[in-house]
Amino acid sequence: MNIKRDIPTATLSGFALSAVLVLTLITILLQYLPLSQQRVGDALLVLNEKEGVANVVTTVVVYFRGFDTLGEIAVLFIASLGVGLMLQPNTECRLKAESNFMLQTASTLLFPLILLFGIYVMVYGHLSPGGGFQGGVIIASGVLLLLISHKNFEVPHTVIVAFETVAGVSYVLIGFMGLLLLDTFLGNFIPHDIANMGMLLSGGVIPLIYIIVGIKVGSEMSGIVQNLMQRSDDV
Amino acid sequence: MFEFLNQPEVIKTIVTLGAMSLFFVGLFGLLTRKHIVKVFISIAIMESAIFLLFIGLSFNREKVAPIIDATQTQVATMNDPIPQAMILTAIVIGMAVLALGVSFAIEYYKLTGKTEIDTMNEMRF
Amino acid sequence: MTGFIILATFVGIVIVAFASVVQKRLADSVVFLMGVGLGNVVLFFLFKAPDVALTEAVIGAGIGTFIFLIALKHLGEQA
Repeated sequence: MNIKRDIPTATLSGFALSAVLVLTLITILLQYLPLSQQRVGDALLVLNEKEGVANVVTTVVVYFRGFDTLGEIAVLFIASLGVGLMLQPNTECRLKAESNFMLQTASTLLFPLILLFGIYVMVYGHLSPGGGFQGGVIIASGVLLLLISHKNFEVPHTVIVAFETVAGVSYVLIGFMGLLLLDTFLGNFIPHDIANMGMLLSGGVIPLIYIIVGIKVGSEMSGIVQNLMQRSDDV
Repeated sequence: MFEFLNQPEVIKTIVTLGAMSLFFVGLFGLLTRKHIVKVFISIAIMESAIFLLFIGLSFNREKVAPIIDATQTQVATMNDPIPQAMILTAIVIGMAVLALGVSFAIEYYKLTGKTEIDTMNEMRF
Repeated sequence: MTGFIILATFVGIVIVAFASVVQKRLADSVVFLMGVGLGNVVLFFLFKAPDVALTEAVIGAGIGTFIFLIALKHLGEQA
């Protein structure tokens, strides 16, 4: 594009002026930045030593801010619901041409590996980088690979609904069981030994919740991808 | 040779100025481009600027990633986990909401045949 | 060296983002947006946030590009 012709000079100069002003202001403010400041997460880092798992980010997402995560997967559910309501799906085949033979074979070969990697990221989310959000999206990527390579592939609607319902209901049920047994919503009621932090079965309820979040995110993202893929070309 | 760039003040300045420039690039696209997909791309760029600002300002070069293992057992030498936990969920939510916006745009295009945002004037008096 | 890599990556990201905004063909624009996501992954890794880097890698490479390409398939190629 021709920048000089498409954009008026006044717009460009206004942008440049405001950018320079904001940058100058921030540079001046950064001169007085305190170096040894109190951080937000210090208290939670100390608390993580008493009750938590090896990955502190997982503890914050699932345990200290677990109620917040419940709200966030509700937002994700509403976005998925909106995509499904907006788009008009077409149950017939969408792709005009059959995809390549090599692509089909390779995607059939790769899909179990992608699924396995997603489940690994999900299950080991409390020990290593990863967790439910990442694992769910990896599984949705595998479903996307099958959707673009196979002409008639489709995840059945009832399967997505079943996974999502079970995951959402069990999240709330685990929260209420914590409320019943320990007087805190999402309390860690399963016995967990802090001495062997770093083992697979050491986190109590935290890995369980992250696996549930992973199932929910995976089914919602698969639903979004499939609905976008199945939008009919006519109309 | 570039050792002066490793000081904490300089890194914080780089992060802030870089995130602000990225945000302004996104804002420029949002205000001047006409196609609806370009508007969504600009919004994605602005989102990533905010993510970089959050993570970058909580970053300390001497500290390690907030994961306890056999060699790292002291929580006092770890980075702040709160911004990372917030941004982790915000990325996934942002992409899902972007998919919702794209589906709105597709249905609008199928109904009216318009993609330029200054011709979308059905609700205007 | 960390500071220099951060500075260089930021400069690259801003240039790629500007290219993505001013590009005439929309498919090029989407590919440049993938470049922004790649630079984000490098920066998140340098900022000692491996969880966020993994999330951004998965989202930016897979689902995000797919969503924009589906939008292009329906809305047409030219800006």
